[in-house]
Amino acid sequence: MTAVEARTVIELDRVDRYFGAHPAVLDLSFRVMEGEIVALLGRTGAGKSTALHMIMGVLEPTRGTVRVEGLDPYAQFKELRGRLSVSFQNDRLLPWRAAWENVALGLEILGFDKETQRSRAIEWLENVKIVGEENVRKYPHELSGGMRQRVSLARALCVDPALVLLDESFSQLDHVTSKALRSDFTELVRRLGKTCVLITHRIDDALEMADRILVLAAPAKLALEVRVTADRRADAAWLETQHAAIAAAMGGEDETEAA
Amino acid sequence: MSTRIDPETAAGLEPPAPAGAERNYFKRDLFASIVIIALIAFAMEAWSWVAPVYIMPSVVLTGDEILTILGEDYIHIVTTILRLLFAVAFSLVVGSLIGVVMGIVRPAEPFIKALVVIFTGVPALSWMLFAIFWFRGTEERVFFILAVILIPFYALNVYDGIKALSTDLIEVVETFRPSRWQVFRLLILPHIVPYVLMTTKSIIGYAARMTAFAELVSVNTGMGARMGLAQDELNMQGVIGWTILLVIVNLGVQAIVAWAEKRLLKWRPEVSVR
Repeated sequence: MTAVEARTVIELDRVDRYFGAHPAVLDLSFRVMEGEIVALLGRTGAGKSTALHMIMGVLEPTRGTVRVEGLDPYAQFKELRGRLSVSFQNDRLLPWRAAWENVALGLEILGFDKETQRSRAIEWLENVKIVGEENVRKYPHELSGGMRQRVSLARALCVDPALVLLDESFSQLDHVTSKALRSDFTELVRRLGKTCVLITHRIDDALEMADRILVLAAPAKLALEVRVTADRRADAAWLETQHAAIAAAMGGEDETEAA
Repeated sequence: MSTRIDPETAAGLEPPAPAGAERNYFKRDLFASIVIIALIAFAMEAWSWVAPVYIMPSVVLTGDEILTILGEDYIHIVTTILRLLFAVAFSLVVGSLIGVVMGIVRPAEPFIKALVVIFTGVPALSWMLFAIFWFRGTEERVFFILAVILIPFYALNVYDGIKALSTDLIEVVETFRPSRWQVFRLLILPHIVPYVLMTTKSIIGYAARMTAFAELVSVNTGMGARMGLAQDELNMQGVIGWTILLVIVNLGVQAIVAWAEKRLLKWRPEVSVR
């Protein structure tokens, strides 16, 4: 049997991005293959959010090329409709829409009828463990922080995108909620075979969720690449060694890491 | 579908609002209003014992006058209410659209804003006098006066609302690559609803008074015009009767706005400060 070569979903080739004279990203190159979970890890100011914004297509690189599904996400912004979605650090739910309506936002934009929107939104809310008619009809202010983040993740997945981007999606939650949500989300994404890029400053999050960790260090360069397998993840000694190596590559562990 | 609620879901349930708290506030406010109305009625009655009828008629005389108005002159009440509602609805739509354009069309913003601010500086009386010169029809006069006074309120408040729109929410909607119309329909429109309602709530009483004033100055129908007629005839009970009815109309319209606000903004958390 011959192995089928995985398709490239994201490709950054020698990308620079400057804000004035300040380089936010320098000579950054990497690929993300279909079905892979890749963590972009770095301290504040390492350029990971800038990289994310270029992948999202809201920032244009100063030099180099960014491709998502073979398209330029900045120049061909509309062509990536429905193929890419994002979950942010704060849930960013629309306060006037009930939980299911927030999840259905992308479907509404993509032109699905109301009935499909509702049934698919409720299905996705169940996938992120928000169940019961009463809960799906709640407005954001009636939900806990963890539940709001679950709704936000369901919203990102509901449009069935090829690529899911997570921008520090678990970092504002308490330790227990964050751990439960990371575990649920990773299991879900792996089951669905989604490609995922996780932006984080937490080494533990990256080691727990990602197949590959790309460590960005100031001044905005790729400093280290770590491959994580299920076997390695179960090996405490390996995790400890990698944790130390990653922290060193980052230029020291982020202060918030210990939280 | 499963109806199981996981512990976190359960933890996310908000504590219920105190039972009957709202009803108690309503009862308290109603009681206070009845007391104040009774005191005013008593003061009017006491004054009528010592003053001639053209200064202060008795409560009974005023009550008779109100019944007469309701029986014979109700068409003027209906006319005023329709003028008020139509002008407010028109101003709401046009003012909000101007506010949206000010908020999202950068090159137009300073020019429209300057125009709107200048308009807010023109005294209401000047608009009334302009209307008498510019329009022959009575309905056009009242409509013009109200619209030109009310539109800037909506425009400026909606403009402020758009400026307050969270960039986080814009970014999250943009991730789905919507059309401009979808951005307006799904983000901007629901976002400005509280600003439109807040404006309506603030101006509705003022608008009702302006309607009566415009009718007094520029036309011969409606509650304001009838008040003017009563004054010409030294009919003080008529003036007071129309005033009371105007207050009732004003409160009624405000109640409708409050009801609409409650229905349309049910997604907003109730905030209280201890």
